[in-house]
Amino acid sequence: MSLATLLEQYGEEYLIALLTTWKLTAIAFSAAFVIGILVTVMRVSPVKPLRVFAEIYVQIFRNISGAALLILLVYALPYLNMMFSYFTCVIIATTLIPSAFCSEYLMSGINTIDVGQIEAARALGLNFTELVRSIVIPQALRSSVIPLTNLLVSTMLTTALASQVPMDPRELTGLVSHINTHAVGGVVAFFVSAFLYCITAVVIGQVGLRIDRRVRILR
Amino acid sequence: MNKAGSRTYVRDALFEKPGPKALKKIRLVTALSLAALILLIFLVIRQFYITGQLDARYWSFFLRFTTWRFLFIGLLGTVEAASLGGVLALITGFLLMLARISKYRILNILSAALIEFTRGVPTLLFIYFFFLVVPQMGIKMSALWKVVFPVSISACGIVAEVLRSGVNAVPKGQREAAISLGMSEAATFLRIILPQAVRFVVPALISELVIVVKDTTFAYVVSFPDLMQNAKVLISNYDALLSVYLVVAVIYIIINYLLNQLSLYLAGRMDVSTVNVAEV
Repeated sequence: MSLATLLEQYGEEYLIALLTTWKLTAIAFSAAFVIGILVTVMRVSPVKPLRVFAEIYVQIFRNISGAALLILLVYALPYLNMMFSYFTCVIIATTLIPSAFCSEYLMSGINTIDVGQIEAARALGLNFTELVRSIVIPQALRSSVIPLTNLLVSTMLTTALASQVPMDPRELTGLVSHINTHAVGGVVAFFVSAFLYCITAVVIGQVGLRIDRRVRILR
Repeated sequence: MNKAGSRTYVRDALFEKPGPKALKKIRLVTALSLAALILLIFLVIRQFYITGQLDARYWSFFLRFTTWRFLFIGLLGTVEAASLGGVLALITGFLLMLARISKYRILNILSAALIEFTRGVPTLLFIYFFFLVVPQMGIKMSALWKVVFPVSISACGIVAEVLRSGVNAVPKGQREAAISLGMSEAATFLRIILPQAVRFVVPALISELVIVVKDTTFAYVVSFPDLMQNAKVLISNYDALLSVYLVVAVIYIIINYLLNQLSLYLAGRMDVSTVNVAEV
């Protein structure tokens, strides 16, 4: 199938698929970011049970494979009387995994801060809230820009999991498998989706680099 | 920052030694959160209990040797696919890295584009390419390679970038010294720069192996008998979906956890924490 006929026949579906991928990515990444911050707060808190819980949470979700998690959510949870729509399952899976990585990046962002700075801040009389707000968080966020843009890209790649469940509308990967099982879409169908993924990834990467260049702390 | 080993982590420095008031507060929050966690665990177990998922028939076959042997055979399939994928990704990643740092501009651009491409496309899409598109072109391929190729393609770009960051981390003086001693460019690269670069990036490469292992779970798409696929057979044999998938998920988590710990251990031993290896 040539590019022209493919786009004529499936052009609109590609557009919808691209928007669906973006939508899944946006929702999952925002949720992952919020959860990642919460988990990180637990991990640095002086409360032992919360620390342990957050560590276990991170180890589980950074080490589980996306397919295994999605299968558990879609096929195993109903046995526990917990039914979610396919869409919700996909969102949960694509949120939980990046949230663990998000926390890891924020932790290493926090760990780039020199302990001396914290001691100095305390010597200057800053209390805990001031210290965290004006010393720790700004620096941790600034040095996490590149890891977080990489995380945004890998969240987008994770949303390809949605192709494993029947979902309407389809996202980019699901569309390729749909086209190729219903018609001989061939290489072109694959490359259109791949191109759309790539362009998105490159744009995200470039924006991330720009932001990083402006806020990076030179040490 | 202190020397490695006695390094104080920021999270330990964040809080002063708590006074009596703060200590009371911490104790209170600790007690409350402990209670909340116990409640959570209780609720999960209760949910398992009232839905009958704790019944012996869902778990008893895990006491049988044959169950584990069957899962182990599946695991061997996973190991086979992951190690082949890993080796292939290492070779192609190395070639991409060579092209990326070569003095020919056209090679640089080509390899940079390929790296971006492999990093920007999900593994599943590559799997569908080998599963659906390649057969259309009349090429026959066994299920194993339908997993190995896509998995290694989607890993090779990151491997190339990791290797490159290792090469860049070798101090410039090393190369200059080797050249001025009369070594050729090629010998300098192979015998001076590469060995050091590889040492720097071994931990990052092992972390990448975790991604390869995770990606092989998509093997069920092409019906390659890996851990996941064998789990499916067990499920239909014993009609026990939840328990089998739960055990399989735990197996994956343990494998990847151990790989990550190995990577951390090696990174600590070589003290490469100062080397800025690309975040992946």
